[in-house]
Amino acid sequence: MASELPVSSDDQGRALSAGSDTDYGLRTTDYGFDLPFLGPGQVGVLTGDAGLGMTRLGLVLLSDHARTGPVAYLDVRGWLSPLAAWEVGIEPDRLVIARCRDVIRWGKAVASLLDGAAAVLAEVPIGAKDASIRKLAALARNRGTPLLLRPLDRAVPTGVAHLTLEARETSWSGAVDGHGRIERRKTLLMASGKAMRGMTRTIEMEDDGSNTLRVVSGVAAAESRSVAG
Amino acid sequence: MRRGEAEGICPQVATVERDHSAEMVAFEGVVTAVEDLIPNVEVVEPGLVFVPVAGAVGYYGGEGPLIERVVKEIDRVAGAGFRIGVAEGPFAAKQASINATGDPPMLLVEDDEAFLASLDISTVGREELVSTFQWLGITTLGELARLPGGTIASRFGAAGLDAHRRASGRDRDLNPRDLPIDLTVSERFSPPLEDLEQAAFVARAMAGRLVEALASFGAAPFRIVVEAEAADGTVRSRTWLSADPLDDRAISDRVRWQLRAWVDGVGAGIRGGLVALRIEPANLSGVGRQLALGEDARAAAETVRAFTETQAILGRDELLQAHPQGGREYGDRVAWHRWGEPPVSRRDPDAPWPGRIPGPSPALVPPAPQPFHIEWDGGMPTRVRLGSRWVTVRSWAGPWRRVGRWWKGEEPGDQYQIVTSAGAFLCEIRGGATWLTGIYD
Repeated sequence: MASELPVSSDDQGRALSAGSDTDYGLRTTDYGFDLPFLGPGQVGVLTGDAGLGMTRLGLVLLSDHARTGPVAYLDVRGWLSPLAAWEVGIEPDRLVIARCRDVIRWGKAVASLLDGAAAVLAEVPIGAKDASIRKLAALARNRGTPLLLRPLDRAVPTGVAHLTLEARETSWSGAVDGHGRIERRKTLLMASGKAMRGMTRTIEMEDDGSNTLRVVSGVAAAESRSVAG
Repeated sequence: MRRGEAEGICPQVATVERDHSAEMVAFEGVVTAVEDLIPNVEVVEPGLVFVPVAGAVGYYGGEGPLIERVVKEIDRVAGAGFRIGVAEGPFAAKQASINATGDPPMLLVEDDEAFLASLDISTVGREELVSTFQWLGITTLGELARLPGGTIASRFGAAGLDAHRRASGRDRDLNPRDLPIDLTVSERFSPPLEDLEQAAFVARAMAGRLVEALASFGAAPFRIVVEAEAADGTVRSRTWLSADPLDDRAISDRVRWQLRAWVDGVGAGIRGGLVALRIEPANLSGVGRQLALGEDARAAAETVRAFTETQAILGRDELLQAHPQGGREYGDRVAWHRWGEPPVSRRDPDAPWPGRIPGPSPALVPPAPQPFHIEWDGGMPTRVRLGSRWVTVRSWAGPWRRVGRWWKGEEPGDQYQIVTSAGAFLCEIRGGATWLTGIYD
């Protein structure tokens, strides 16, 4: 297959207007179906490849707790963009980002964050041990702090998660053959764990990337957009 | 001065964490020496001690002979470097010690109010109020003291009233309350505790119980008496005083410092281990304990403590906060700063910034663009490489020309949004190479 680099039509290209893309105000959540809320001391696990929307979903879950106190994101990769957190309604003052690549210090850092934050979303580094993750889950229960784990390479040990959300696939609308820009996303998730009463359910999530999230239950509903309302 | 500022002035500066326990161990000799002369010594912090001298002045035949004895004792155990201030109230006494001159430095204040009147308003110790007072033209404690207390209270609340009391030299009487029951907490240990960390752990639980019990009466202690009984029957006691109400953390810290001072400092230590520990609250007051609606002071203090600990684990540069600022690139729109330091936004986020890509923003933005492989066919992207696999492009948007900072030697580039079944990616083609600049995760 030939490889050819495209060139923009003119020197200035097509500059997009700045628009009102960012609203730092309150998030308005419109749940067509109850997205399981992570209560005090409960542990959630977000799995799926980078690009399937689990970071933003984690931030949405974190934003529920940012109203009561500062929330913490432990960034192993060092890639988190706070813009996405602000877009889902987390106030800049309420978000603390800890960066840690070292597996040994990672456990200690999460433990100390659990002591002070209203909720913690922690990326799990490659090489983190099961025992360490179990200890952190026990500590989260003990402290009553919700903990979201975002493993980068593997599954977390069984019995740890109150809720597991696994992204299966995602699709974007808005961009067509070079025109427009990406605007809305639909993500297919598998939800399981005690929060789902032991069942595995398929959830379709709609996300406009800013501050609205709709969750539609069941893939059997092919006409999900009408259910979402 | 903040660490960042200090490092800016002197990059070689070394930071040493303050160790209150070690300081208290060193200070214990001074406290014991003073206590041998005058009873009821009250420790405020390692290095600062208040001594009520009214009774001792009569015993030693006047302030002069008493101070002479105190100076001699402190000089014997600690050598030079101490300062002494004598006044009616503790705040004036502390200010007197700070302003003391001579050899050894000492200052005897005859009239607290007159002495305090000329001091700068910043000495009142309420940082949040000082700048407002200065803005209002109140530059000395005397000017603050001359204002009506009721007016200060209505404008600045409890903190303002407290500052007014200090400026007037009336900080001693905090309207102490008597509670109907004794809330002293105590624990006995069998076998005796021989590990200081174990004792500190128990003290923390005791402090929590004490503060919880006091909170049910809307009270908090400004003073605590720590009493430890050793296995050989020796009982040691020490009073700690604070200008602000002591919370559970502050109480447990002081108990820990004191226990370590008794164990490692001068004296016989706690021989045979600790068999009993007692914490008695004193000088109870409801002043300043009424929290604002929605305020949870204990949770806030716990948050600060936990984040400080995280900073200690990861390093100060690894615990961050961010605030919006203006810019075209996603990375430029974020102003990072260390947690605990004030935010610094260099560019106005509300300015138009034409040419920036509107939201949604990619949730993941690499600190530096990463190499990215795209296969093109007839000017259209067809496949992208994610790790070891190739994924088909479903749709795409762009290009948007990014002029780049030509004055810094940056080349112009074309930005694209590439959508695949594995997600959407923001990439840039610059200098004949393709770079990943964001993932819409």
